[in-house]
Amino acid sequence: MEILTGNELLSGAAVYLDRDGRWVEDLQAARVFLPEEAEAQDAAMAATRATMRIVSLETEVVTLQEGRIVPARLRERIRAEGPTAPVFDRQHLDEDGHVSI
Amino acid sequence: MYRYDEFDASFVASRVAQFSDQVRRRLTGELSEDQFRPLRLMNGLYLQLHAYMLRIAVPYGTLNARQMRKLAHIARTYDRGYGHFTTRQNIQFNWPKLKDIPAILGELATVEMHAIQTSGNCIRNITTDQFAGAAADEIIDPRPVAEILRQWSSLHPEFSYLPRKFKIAMTGSPNDRAAVKFHDIGLMAATDPQGEIGWAVYVGGGMGRTPMVGKLINGFVPHEHLLAYLESILRVYNRFGRRDNKFKARIKILVHEEGIESIREQVEAEFAAIKGGVLTLPQEELDRISAYFAPPAFERLNATRIDVEREKILEPAYGRWLENNIASHRQPGYACVTISLKPVGGAPGDATAAQMEAVANLAETYSFDELRVTHEQNLVLPHVKIGDLRAVYDALFEHGLAAGNAGEITDIIACPGLDFCALANARSIPIAQAISTRFAAPERQREIGELKIKISGCINACGHHHVGHIGILGVEKKGTELYQITVGGDATEDAAIGNILGRGFVAEEVPDAIERLVDTYLDRRQGADEPFIAAYRRLGDAPFKEALYGTA
Repeated sequence: MEILTGNELLSGAAVYLDRDGRWVEDLQAARVFLPEEAEAQDAAMAATRATMRIVSLETEVVTLQEGRIVPARLRERIRAEGPTAPVFDRQHLDEDGHVSI
Repeated sequence: MYRYDEFDASFVASRVAQFSDQVRRRLTGELSEDQFRPLRLMNGLYLQLHAYMLRIAVPYGTLNARQMRKLAHIARTYDRGYGHFTTRQNIQFNWPKLKDIPAILGELATVEMHAIQTSGNCIRNITTDQFAGAAADEIIDPRPVAEILRQWSSLHPEFSYLPRKFKIAMTGSPNDRAAVKFHDIGLMAATDPQGEIGWAVYVGGGMGRTPMVGKLINGFVPHEHLLAYLESILRVYNRFGRRDNKFKARIKILVHEEGIESIREQVEAEFAAIKGGVLTLPQEELDRISAYFAPPAFERLNATRIDVEREKILEPAYGRWLENNIASHRQPGYACVTISLKPVGGAPGDATAAQMEAVANLAETYSFDELRVTHEQNLVLPHVKIGDLRAVYDALFEHGLAAGNAGEITDIIACPGLDFCALANARSIPIAQAISTRFAAPERQREIGELKIKISGCINACGHHHVGHIGILGVEKKGTELYQITVGGDATEDAAIGNILGRGFVAEEVPDAIERLVDTYLDRRQGADEPFIAAYRRLGDAPFKEALYGTA
């Protein structure tokens, strides 16, 4: 299973593509693509590229644990939450930071 | 301190205008990210895990109060109220927004600062001894030549697209505090048989995935020919450095693969062709630049002995600070003060806006408006009257900057690691915090003495782990952070690369592992005056390996 993630252009905030085609801050809102949804995933990536507003677009492997999306890589878990030391809140989108495909 | 001339001011202003327009075009969609990325990197703007990161150059680590206040203002206005000082004597902001970058660069230009050439395959900020112009052991103040190298290397059209980044460090003292042998080019002040001062040139040093100690390519290059000599090295590198493989593109690989003799021959041939030409540095120009770095108006004071032992009894924390954070000054009655950015449990190199302002005030009041950034991620007040030390300490204490641990086991270098960096494989800062907490007791640190721990969160070695007396390298294995421990590295003139002793440790095991190494040293040293690195050189790997892994 995979999700799509990237950084929003203006703020640099880590964002995830949700089920409604919006790029949002909440990892738990991310659309999870099953292996058989490769075509939809590719289309979503192409549509995202066309917005020119999401940087470092990547796919990330995730698992579902007790209904929650858990990225396989520690890097992605830290990216979703913010730095662990010193603890800082993650970067947030500004008013003008909302992107949809 | 150097002040911009019209040329400097104009090229910085035109770059701000140029990049502002590039940002505007990116925001309106005229530029794609593929087109914009190399442009933003040329201006020090990275995209990290959580946000953009802006790296600002602090030329040869020298700042004045006004510049430091501007950094504080930027931290407060455009970031999250703090900045991170780096091993390249620069400062990084971790949370700026793209639309604010033109304003930030505009603000920096008003205090003669910029972010040009803090990224990309070009000649980066030239670093030097943090005590330059102040150290008692200095042969020559390296800053005038560093400034000339800055001017030569800034927007150098021939060297803007090198095979890979290129770092130059220099020291005017035989006691190397700038790790010059671990740079692409390292310059060390030298004298010829006639007593003239010039530069010994080392080439091909570096860390990263292939650590190398720089090799001496020329034992003495006079000032007047230094630019031509360095240009010759860069030309050979630019022509023959590998562009087919990023991991083999640094000059250290070229020097290693070709051999220093062959590189020397090629450099000498190039040098013979350009020596005496336009790159000859006239004495008048050297004098003109040197005038900017003239010693401040020191008072004529008698040499003053600081009774550290007495102070340690009266007030242990102050006594400890005097013992560790004060370095000898060349001017009688003055001292260099290291401001530790390594409080126990803190993030190495971080300073808040309020702390930056406090330090700026101290520089103005007590240090002739001068400040330095060290490659060990601390700050320095280079010229403090010994009679003012107590007042400086009290002000530092008030702002949480009075840690008296310079050079001790808790004065740790650590890269931002996986908490911030897009390249990292493992976290560095929590490891530094755990170790400094474990060894927090001042008596314990004093007993251990000089011990340099350096931590990197990936093989790129921004945290200099290869040259830590104890080095820690974070790697990722099967989804877990593992930490390899090396012993025996040394960044000084006795340059050495640490040895990996065995398997890695999970994060929770690291403080115990470090403690076992320290205990082994304390048990086996010949006395308190034999530092860790000397004991390691005498004893070799074996006892330390046993301490980590047992005898099995």
